[in-house]
Amino acid sequence: MTGEVVLRTNGLVKRFGSITAVNGLDLEVRRGEVVGLLGPNGAGKSTTIGMVLGLIAPTAGSAEVLGRDVRVRREEALAGVGAMLEVTSFYPYLSGRDNLTGVALLRGGGALARVDPLLARLGLAQRGGSKFRTYSLGMRQRLGIASTLLSDPALVILDEPANGLDPAGQREIRELIRELAGENRGVLLASHLLHEVEQVCDRVLVIKKGKLIASGTIAEITRGGGSYFEIVVGDQTRAAQILRGLGVKEIRETPTGLDVVADPARGAELNRALASAGLYASAIVPRASSLEDVFMELTEPESPSASPAS
Amino acid sequence: MPWIMLGLIVLTAFLLYFLIWASVNAQLQAVKNGTIPAPAGGTAQLEQTLRMIAPDRVAQFGVGLVSGLGSVMLIVFAASHVGTEFGWGTFRTLLAHGASRTGFLVAKAASLLLYAFVFIVVGTLAAIGASYAVSAVAGISVGSGVDVAEVTRAAVKAGYIFLPYMALALAIAVWSKSAGAGIAAGLVVYFAEGIVATLLVSLNKDYAEIVNWGLSRSVSAVTRAGSSAAVPDPTASTLPDPTRAAIVLAVYCVIFLVLAYWRLRSRDVTVGG
Repeated sequence: MTGEVVLRTNGLVKRFGSITAVNGLDLEVRRGEVVGLLGPNGAGKSTTIGMVLGLIAPTAGSAEVLGRDVRVRREEALAGVGAMLEVTSFYPYLSGRDNLTGVALLRGGGALARVDPLLARLGLAQRGGSKFRTYSLGMRQRLGIASTLLSDPALVILDEPANGLDPAGQREIRELIRELAGENRGVLLASHLLHEVEQVCDRVLVIKKGKLIASGTIAEITRGGGSYFEIVVGDQTRAAQILRGLGVKEIRETPTGLDVVADPARGAELNRALASAGLYASAIVPRASSLEDVFMELTEPESPSASPAS
Repeated sequence: MPWIMLGLIVLTAFLLYFLIWASVNAQLQAVKNGTIPAPAGGTAQLEQTLRMIAPDRVAQFGVGLVSGLGSVMLIVFAASHVGTEFGWGTFRTLLAHGASRTGFLVAKAASLLLYAFVFIVVGTLAAIGASYAVSAVAGISVGSGVDVAEVTRAAVKAGYIFLPYMALALAIAVWSKSAGAGIAAGLVVYFAEGIVATLLVSLNKDYAEIVNWGLSRSVSAVTRAGSSAAVPDPTASTLPDPTRAAIVLAVYCVIFLVLAYWRLRSRDVTVGG
């Protein structure tokens, strides 16, 4: 991880009255990497993005883009940022091209020359002249993404960019995000689509109630691609006792049996122990932890495993 | 909306000039034919009304018409011009793309000022056009024609009195993040304050000391300064000094814009605006 830091937040805090939406958040995004920002609804993702863009004033802490404090030098800092917010909003009575032109005029520099190439890159060349209000949700998202690239930004912030896109469109966006990182830009991606995050992100930050509860590469977050067994068995309590007797520490009850974290080579041993005790499993399936599993585990309300940032 | 409003003021100017002529002319004909009895003072008042159509009365009648309709239309326009940015979420988009809040407000205020100027110019030209067209149809003598200097003075005053109401509508739209609230508040103040002020002064002239610091009485004072009014006002003698009234209106503009600026600067922009 050697690229220049394009985004850094230092102890970012935001309180709305008695509610703490973001609580001491430290994060970094470097050039050439895609960082996923994950969290359940209300975790503070959009508030964090709002503070990075100077839309929301932090209660404490700071956000820096390319070393410039957003609160102190907002316009300079945002010159290096392209951001697409969760709800893509443009003037409904203007065409997609005119909306982009408006943003390009605001951006200055060579942004005007990028309007048509970006429409083409995002697959909107044919509909560039149509009014924004006639666009489908997917087209609106594409236009939003196009607008982020007008200023040739060092940092691209995408909040739920695949909303409303069909599978082919989602795939295109994933490829585009990787291309952006390949162009030496830093990308901060907030998404609910965990498989999307899993496929495109170099690092993931998981926040819950405004606090960073986990961070690292996908492999680190999923415990090195850690594996477990899904065991379908009747008497879960007795089965768990027997497996604990074998030294298995992580056991979780499921509606159909148990999820048991153990070396994949121990499948036969577990089966034999259960069968010896008269508990016949109807299935013992080796599984690999996915980001979704870890995310659910980390963010479920009463999860005891929600530990401080790693 | 801007083009529609310009079209509406042109259309309305022609329509009202025509309707006044058609209505008054029909009454005059009916009186002549004996279909209806003549009014107590003869037909002089009807003929006087008909004279309002003449080009030499555009400064009083035509510009007054544009001013009255324009105030309402520009309140609607000012509130919509700002409020829709919050409703559509485009204010948030602009900020996310690096626009400054100060720049946003300055651009909005400047474009409203420009639009008010264009509106009063187009409206006044429409009134002049309607006056000549209907006078020709009605066979009314154009006499000395339009007094350009007088019409210009009246138009400048009309444009000036739009501004505080537009600034008020803008401020309310910024505070409420809603075009509807800006329109409603602007129209309520425009109509209700004038009625309340007139009623209070009619009850007791001493109340003028208070209500003369309001918008409507200051607007009346500016409008009537140096010109004969199209509509008589029994409380006109208690109106404030026109210069003071003009200053009061300017101060209101500044206050409304400062309030809008302060709110816009300090607000967290979440969903929409």
